[in-house]
Amino acid sequence: MEPVHLPRPQSELPDLNISNGQGLLQWISTVDHKQIGIMYLLFSVLFLCIGGLAALLFRIQLALPNNAFIGPEMFSQLFTMHGTTMIFFVLTPGILGFSVYFTPLMIGANEMAFPRLNAFSLWIAFFGALLLYFSFFNGGAPDGGWFNYAPLNEKQYASGNGIDYYCIGLLLGGIGTASTAINLIVTILQCRVKTMGLHHLSVFVWMVLVNSFLILAAFPAINAALCMLLLDRQLQAHFFDLSAGGSPLLWQHLFWLFGHPEVYILILPSFGILSEVFQVFSRKPIFGYGLLVGSGIVIALLAFGVWMHHMFAAGLGITINGFFSASSLLIGVATGVKIFSWIATMWGGSLRFTTAMMFACAFLVEFTIGGLSGISFAIVPIDWQLTDTYYVVAHIHYVFIGGSLFGLLAGLFYWFPKMSGRMIRDRNGKIFFWLFVAGFNMTFLVQHALGAMGMSRRVYTYPDVPGYGTLNLISTCGAFIMGISVLYLLYLLIQSKRYGKEAPGDPWDAYTLEWMTPSPPALKNFEALPPVHSERPFRDLKIERQEK
Amino acid sequence: MENKLMIKLVVGTEALFFVALIFGYVYFAFKPGYDPRVLRLLHTRSTGIFSLFLFSSSFTFWRAAVNFDKGKPSRLKVWLAITIALGCLFLFGQGREYFNLFRENLTISSNLFGTSFFTLTGFHGLHVFIGLIMLSIVLLLAFLGDLDRPGSSVIETVGIYWHFVDVVWFFVFSLVYVLPHFLK
Amino acid sequence: MTHACQILLTIQSVFESATVESEKVNALTFRFIIAGSFIFLLVAGLLVYVSVKFRARLADAEPIQARRNIKAEVAMIGIPFLMVAFFFYLTIKTMEATEPSVYNQKPDIIIIAHQWWWEARYPAKNAVTANEIHIPVQKKILLRLNSADVIHDWWVPSFGPKMDMVPGINNYLWLYIRKPGIYEGTCSEFCGAQHAWMRIRVIAQDTVDFQKWLTAAAMPARQPATAPALSGRAIFMGLTCAGCHAVRGTIARGRAGPDLTHLASRKTLLSGKMENTDENLGKWLSHPQKIKPGAHMPDFILNKDTLTALVTYLHTLQ
Ligand code: HEA
Ligand code: HEA
Ligand code: HEC
Ligand code: CUA
Ligand SMILES: [Cu+2]
Repeated sequence: MEPVHLPRPQSELPDLNISNGQGLLQWISTVDHKQIGIMYLLFSVLFLCIGGLAALLFRIQLALPNNAFIGPEMFSQLFTMHGTTMIFFVLTPGILGFSVYFTPLMIGANEMAFPRLNAFSLWIAFFGALLLYFSFFNGGAPDGGWFNYAPLNEKQYASGNGIDYYCIGLLLGGIGTASTAINLIVTILQCRVKTMGLHHLSVFVWMVLVNSFLILAAFPAINAALCMLLLDRQLQAHFFDLSAGGSPLLWQHLFWLFGHPEVYILILPSFGILSEVFQVFSRKPIFGYGLLVGSGIVIALLAFGVWMHHMFAAGLGITINGFFSASSLLIGVATGVKIFSWIATMWGGSLRFTTAMMFACAFLVEFTIGGLSGISFAIVPIDWQLTDTYYVVAHIHYVFIGGSLFGLLAGLFYWFPKMSGRMIRDRNGKIFFWLFVAGFNMTFLVQHALGAMGMSRRVYTYPDVPGYGTLNLISTCGAFIMGISVLYLLYLLIQSKRYGKEAPGDPWDAYTLEWMTPSPPALKNFEALPPVHSERPFRDLKIERQEK
Repeated sequence: MENKLMIKLVVGTEALFFVALIFGYVYFAFKPGYDPRVLRLLHTRSTGIFSLFLFSSSFTFWRAAVNFDKGKPSRLKVWLAITIALGCLFLFGQGREYFNLFRENLTISSNLFGTSFFTLTGFHGLHVFIGLIMLSIVLLLAFLGDLDRPGSSVIETVGIYWHFVDVVWFFVFSLVYVLPHFLK
Repeated sequence: MTHACQILLTIQSVFESATVESEKVNALTFRFIIAGSFIFLLVAGLLVYVSVKFRARLADAEPIQARRNIKAEVAMIGIPFLMVAFFFYLTIKTMEATEPSVYNQKPDIIIIAHQWWWEARYPAKNAVTANEIHIPVQKKILLRLNSADVIHDWWVPSFGPKMDMVPGINNYLWLYIRKPGIYEGTCSEFCGAQHAWMRIRVIAQDTVDFQKWLTAAAMPARQPATAPALSGRAIFMGLTCAGCHAVRGTIARGRAGPDLTHLASRKTLLSGKMENTDENLGKWLSHPQKIKPGAHMPDFILNKDTLTALVTYLHTLQ
């Protein structure tokens, strides 16, 4: 038997001696990365319901032409809050939840490098979200859209307090996200079990690492923009105020310099999760480990060179448009490498279609649709036609839901036994899968057509142009199916947690270290760890045991 | 080790934040052509002197760190105190400069130069202030005897941040106060 | 079924090119649709094949633990790369063909977006109109696009490219419309509460009709002849209407609202919100904030007679 290694940090962890019996207080005061991870996920689910509810409300308004269910002011607030919530308070805590829960486990660490900072990040982001929602009770929510263009966001055009809440809420959320990113980087770089080299990191951990750097590089731009906007609104500064020589386009540059990396921030961890799911359920190592990691890095770097593709219609000139078109197209190539690598991982495997694997496979299809509509935007003349229409809305949801969210759901079904100690019945998981996928495609596939038929996004109603009514009604029905499926998911999770079959430590015969622990893992993750000599250390250990 | 890596990452993202602000400053203060009247308002000399205080605080901090490593807590305290005093002096100088500008009717809302000037220097001042809080905590720890023996990474960690604040000021000062003299 | 076909036939979309520019864009779009379908079918096909072929069977042995395959790797990078390179070339070519540089050419029409209506100025004749924009066909037209407040966006789907209207910036767009007709469009950048009701109606006319219209549009407003209309005019000038609206040939010179000089010859009101009838006009004037909440025209307290007089007057503005 080779020597075993002790996990790091080895010293007694702060506050780990709190007993498990203290209930809510214990959750609130915890610094345990697993509990914090779970709280991130609950945070995410809570806001998925709230943001989804907003979507249902404005989908009702859009179901019929010339509808008067909600007025224009409320409509603007709802879609702004929907987009902002979904991006900053659903997907962000979603990816952070899995990152914080599983990164230490997968690298053989007992904790994050800074457990208290970890708790701080969670709570500050959560309070940022609460603050954002408090705006509803204080003069109305922000109503400028999630990217909140100047000069519409200036006091002159938005005199309520909504935009100020938007700034402060996002600043707080951003502080939380950035400090978690720092925490993750330090953890990954310095708390790995001794023999684990960087080339032994699982793809998920690699993506978390790359992603964390991406966060640190992207958030300063929006923080600066938000500070400028606050100064404009509160102290009458003139950054975006045209009449004093300020520049409305400056906002767009700063925002998208952040905004584009942000959308990749929301998908890279999903790419990581999928890589785990594909290999475990194909019974094969990941195909092209280096390619997958490398293309992740390429995507992260390119992400900073594409922001003006959100501004193709702003009249910046052919040279600039051409440059940003090229970089955006190249991202498609880098992403294609991933898609094909996953298919190659399945190729020749022995595929097990669990719910997690189903979501992973559905991801391949839906994300390709979303990616291809993205590529169509990168072809500037097509973007000139379709920017700011429902075609963009379709793109957003195909990449966010069909991409990021399907990845997170795959992760949820893959890791739920580990996190809760209970199994989800596969049959029930699949009922949810089909409901969700059907509702999703019904809602958003038709929106491609609506965009091509000339329907602008962010309209609170539309005239009775032929075709609009029917397609919008289909979309609204789909949204309700999605709503029902989300409720079913909630039920499924609660029911499984309560009455599900008890989960063994390693239900999927998986490859990475988190499956070495009992389900759910003890407060102290590991007592001792095997030496690591590949990116599938737990599999190596199992084979070694078998051979004995 | 971990603390040092953490603070380096913090400094890295903060640096990008300042890059964005500096970009905004260059864009707005130099876009229509630099307005030479502004130069008359700014007190390059006195601000330069106060800047020297800040720059030398990096030196005194370095002395503090050296003494900490050598295990000389009393000298550590002295150097730390001097560092804090220098930082405070710098902030005082900045306050004075602001006050003078207000008297000349240049505020954040008077024009684009004011907007970008106060934002850039103000955020730098805020960072100095945060640094002073950290230094005070370290000094307190030193008086409580926590830093009597070398080994803790606190000094080095705070040091990285403090030097960073200095370096930022070097760029800001050169850009805002020195460069325009050469553009005349 | 026939009903569905009828609807399909009347649906307008980006694919229904009405200009030379949109023909060029659509040629590119169709190529992309083909290439995109190819990629999609490739991914979906591979997925289906793999799922069927390699589904786990009872007593499967552990599959071969393959990690790499250089040929596959080269193909999965190389082929997409060639495809995007090809489309990049087409992108540049199409951009240059549809929107060549403007240099110092004078625009034929200046369009200024307001929250939430369109102002169109014709420098050649000093004509001004609102919301319903007349453009000659069979002629290369240069539009200059401006904004009076926030960012808006000019988009007529069957004309091809759209263009943002950014305050403080001149943006341009070329148009060569093939056939006369009425083309619907809409503002396509979120610009506040009434972004939905900022629709465009382009009336494309052959040169003769267009010149006729332009000459008429450049004329000052017709003098009202009847007593109610005259009193309507007095009310219009007396109330604050004249401060926001222009009626050329009178003292009304406001620019905050649409030019009303030839209001009665327009078919729609309020950027496509409703038809231009006396009844609708009355509804709008008696309660603007109910018809188009948020619009920058205040509610007035008008009694019935004033209202009728105003409507009668506005009706005379042919
Ligand atoms: C998870 C989030 C996510 C992801 C992954 C992407 C991925 C991409 N996006 Fe998307 N995007 C958004 C989120 C995302 N986007 C959002 C939220 C907006 C709207 C913001 C707003 O306005 O509100 C937006 C808007 C947006 C625009 C601006 C549209 C507009 O407003 O006018 C553009 C323009 O270029 C664009 C491009 C791309 C490209 C090229 C990719 C590529 O990365 C896609 C790459 C993937 C593939 C191409 C599929 C798989 C590849 C293959 C199978 C290989 C073969 C492929 C080829 C040969 C091409 N996106
Ligand atoms: C993670 C990202 C994400 C997700 C998951 C979604 C989910 C959904 N989105 Fe969203 N969407 C965005 C991100 C996302 N969206 C963004 C970024 C924008 C742009 C915003 C902007 O323009 O500024 C946008 C915009 C947007 C629009 C365009 C609005 C406009 O331009 O006017 C539409 C319209 O149909 C829409 C619909 C939906 C629907 C029907 C869902 C559904 O999938 C929702 C399904 C979920 C539920 C229905 C919740 C279930 C819960 C309940 C039913 C009740 C539970 C209640 C309790 C338990 C108390 N979205
Ligand atoms: C404060 C400015 C203001 C005042 C005063 C004002 N209007 Fe308006 N008016 C507007 C604006 C702005 C619009 C465009 C509203 C929109 O479409 O969003 C408008 C639209 C209209 C229209 C529809 C024009 C079209 O082409 O669709 C009519 C008719 C009109 N106003 C008549 C009047 C009359 C009559 C009065 C006086 C009783 C008046 N307005 C006073 C600002 C004003
Ligand atoms: Cu104007 Cu939207
Ligand atoms: Cu983008």
